[in-house]
Amino acid sequence: MSEQPKTDVREDGVTRRQFVKGLGAVSATAVFGGTILGGLLFPNGVMAIPASTGYLLVDMKKCQGCNTCMMACSLAHHGEQNLSLSRIQIVQDSWKGYPDDIGIEACRQCKDPKCVEACPTGAMHADADTGEVRLVDADKCIGCMQCVEACPHGSGRVIWNHEEGHAQKCDLCANTPFWDHKGGPGGTQACISVCPVNAIKYTDTLPGDDGYEVNLRGKGWAAIGLSTD
Amino acid sequence: MNGYAGKILNVDLTAHEYSVIDTAKYEKWGGGHAIGSAIFWDLCKDKTIDGRDPRNVITIMTSPLTGTLVPSASGRVEVQGIGLQSYPVAWYTRSNFGGRLGGQLKSAGWDGIVLQGKSPKPVWIDILNDEVVFNDAADLWGTDTWTAQQKIWSKLGVERGVGDAWRQVSTKAKDGRTTQKPAILAIGPVGEAGSSIGALIHDAGNGGGQGGFGGVWGAKNLKAICIQGTGGVDVADPTGLIQARITAKEDWTANDDKGPENFASGFGQTVSPVAFWPMPTDGMRPQACQGCINGCRARYASGVGNESSCLETSVYMGYDIAKNGKPTAATYEGVDLLQSYGANAFEIKHGLGYIRALLEMGVLGKGKAIDSSLDYTQLGDTVFMEALLRAISDKMDIGADLQDGFIRAAEKWGRLDEDWATGALQFPYWGLPEHSYDSRAELEWGYGSIVGDRDINEHDFNRIFWENFLSAAKGYKPALTAEQYTALVVSKMKPLDPDPSMLDFSTENMYSEAIAKLVSWQRHYSRFWKQGALYCDFKYPDFENLNRPDASGLTGSGEPDFWNLVTGQDMTFEEGMELGRKVWNLDNAIWTLQGRTREMVHFAPYVHDTPMTMGEFGPNYVLPAKVDGKWEYANVAGRKIDRDGFEEWKDHFYSIEGWDKTTGWPTRPTLAELGLDDIADTLESAGKLGKEQ
Repeated sequence: MSEQPKTDVREDGVTRRQFVKGLGAVSATAVFGGTILGGLLFPNGVMAIPASTGYLLVDMKKCQGCNTCMMACSLAHHGEQNLSLSRIQIVQDSWKGYPDDIGIEACRQCKDPKCVEACPTGAMHADADTGEVRLVDADKCIGCMQCVEACPHGSGRVIWNHEEGHAQKCDLCANTPFWDHKGGPGGTQACISVCPVNAIKYTDTLPGDDGYEVNLRGKGWAAIGLSTD
Repeated sequence: MNGYAGKILNVDLTAHEYSVIDTAKYEKWGGGHAIGSAIFWDLCKDKTIDGRDPRNVITIMTSPLTGTLVPSASGRVEVQGIGLQSYPVAWYTRSNFGGRLGGQLKSAGWDGIVLQGKSPKPVWIDILNDEVVFNDAADLWGTDTWTAQQKIWSKLGVERGVGDAWRQVSTKAKDGRTTQKPAILAIGPVGEAGSSIGALIHDAGNGGGQGGFGGVWGAKNLKAICIQGTGGVDVADPTGLIQARITAKEDWTANDDKGPENFASGFGQTVSPVAFWPMPTDGMRPQACQGCINGCRARYASGVGNESSCLETSVYMGYDIAKNGKPTAATYEGVDLLQSYGANAFEIKHGLGYIRALLEMGVLGKGKAIDSSLDYTQLGDTVFMEALLRAISDKMDIGADLQDGFIRAAEKWGRLDEDWATGALQFPYWGLPEHSYDSRAELEWGYGSIVGDRDINEHDFNRIFWENFLSAAKGYKPALTAEQYTALVVSKMKPLDPDPSMLDFSTENMYSEAIAKLVSWQRHYSRFWKQGALYCDFKYPDFENLNRPDASGLTGSGEPDFWNLVTGQDMTFEEGMELGRKVWNLDNAIWTLQGRTREMVHFAPYVHDTPMTMGEFGPNYVLPAKVDGKWEYANVAGRKIDRDGFEEWKDHFYSIEGWDKTTGWPTRPTLAELGLDDIADTLESAGKLGKEQ
């Protein structure tokens, strides 16, 4: 992995992110060729990246905002509970009215992943060995943060690991050195396993654009007296 | 140091400087209140000073479990120091709040904060990882706690809402990014006035109310502490901790997919916001402190009432119903005003009861014996709650008399003896308001409070009251008979022998050694496992758990197992209990230096002289008791605490604790066996070392 500069700000006051952006819209495929990116380059230059075989669905109205998923995610992947390293993010505003007081930002394993397209080195890729989950090869990441910027969804779902200086993202727990469970598509995920209210669900079916937020509140929830609509 | 951040921030408010205390110096105390008391002992040289004295040392402490996956032990924070509230002496005391501030503090690299001195002018402290900045709070002073927190967010460039939330927290790449809003602890106008009714508030509804620490902060000119952290909390066994957390969820709790609610077990319950007010029907979610296994409060579609829970939600409802015939918006808005003005909910709840009693007596109002121009016809409406809190904040009208609480106001008015005798002042222990559980019925609550420093607010043995109360209301019987329940609970009260008479709340047993053992056990368990390790009172201890085939909860094994997974230590449950006994003795040493004597340890007159006929939940109070030699859930209402009987009970209690029966002071042998010889020396120098019994 290339060395990271000591600060994110160049002497002329421009951030490294701005500097890299300023290089212009250079196509990753033009620089490195399509095969490195793990996709299929059609004759007209369009990339087709295989769909992931697993996805997370969330019920934002069910979340109790305890951040247990965030602590479990960072602990399983990095051996420390660090909300900034969690690949799922719970965002809260205590004074907002329900349901606008909590947002769950989980990676969608997009069919057309902008993060993969943006990566100049192929570090961010659809990984054939783990069910085409979109994930980061940290050894190849040069820290340009293009993937971080490219995620089009709310609070970006690609995480910048400031401790190690590379991007990272939800891999459906395919690689959890600190949790001895089989993860990835078809396996178990730490966030789902610990969520006290079961507000996160796994599916192997590609959701539609509106299909990632689901209603997981059933009869049991109603029996407690909580909203099910 | 797994679990610990390794540093404690030592703030000199006078000079706007800080230094670092190495946590290792205090690691042997564990965490939370235990470390807080140990630091207070070392740094506060004169324990007899007033709480508003700049030399008062306030410690705000997490534990190694804070910010970790340990269920319902990740989110609490302990605050301790000389308080303002209790009477006749404002004891060294403690409060505790939840939310997410503790996790942010650990994430920033700090185990706690020590506050000393007094800022020359209003200040707020900005902690961003290892950087600490003192900021002028002139534009925040006078704002309520919510406005202050939101203004600080704005100053830091943090946007409201849950939209695109990622931000680089500083210009330094090493500081990283976060989506989390800064966690802030603030005081409102009541605290700014230096009032003993002042509370510390974090987010919308996390409050450290008891003790008057809001007023202490006001006296120190400290408006708020803002914390952002992007670091992590290490643990000794990440794999083991993750699995233990999953096992806790799958095998020890109910959730919406399985199992009934289980009132007897806090840990085993399904998620359920605890609120006495009618739940709004236009949408709500349960909301939890960081890491909680089942949240106990809620957020609502209107945003009104967010994060208030349990007794807070009942503070204004009775008055609203009395005036308006049913709960109106005032029930919720009144509580929001408590949070935003930063006021102690219990003090206001029973203070309003006293106000109503004074009105009925015809002694309060314009031109009356207690001359006040507030419009008391509006008691029960939102406008009255605001007028009262504004009066306290501005030290105007009745607010001037209420600066040091309702007991001292009654004393100023020449009414204390009379109104304490009749119970018009429902403030049973040390001038603190009752916690809804009458001391005359629920013995361990009252006894534990009066031998300590405050209303204990510990529900360990209170759950069975609720199990009986709610099961009666819903038409079913408790899952365990009284005999089964008491046998189960005492089996978990190690290191004590399992004597079921410790849970016999009958009148015949109320002054017994067995009840003294009960109280002693609870003091020790709370001082370490709950206030030191910071296992939340709402979930622990877990005695009865109906999710288990034998109904046996995880107390005894759960607490040390999780502690050791985090710290890598090999602590046993009994060793934690002994550490709790050590902290309890340290606290008593502080009270001794503050002037405590045995003669002072008694309840308000009405508790001793008047049988309980009506409690907050009606005329009955059902607890386990032996009646004619048989165990049953019996109604123990209708009695008082006999003065002679209570003195007999104190003899038992002091004997169990190894304290001087004449004075209630710790003795050298007791302190020596706890490794506290230096404390014995200090007490001896002050002429306050208890005589060996």
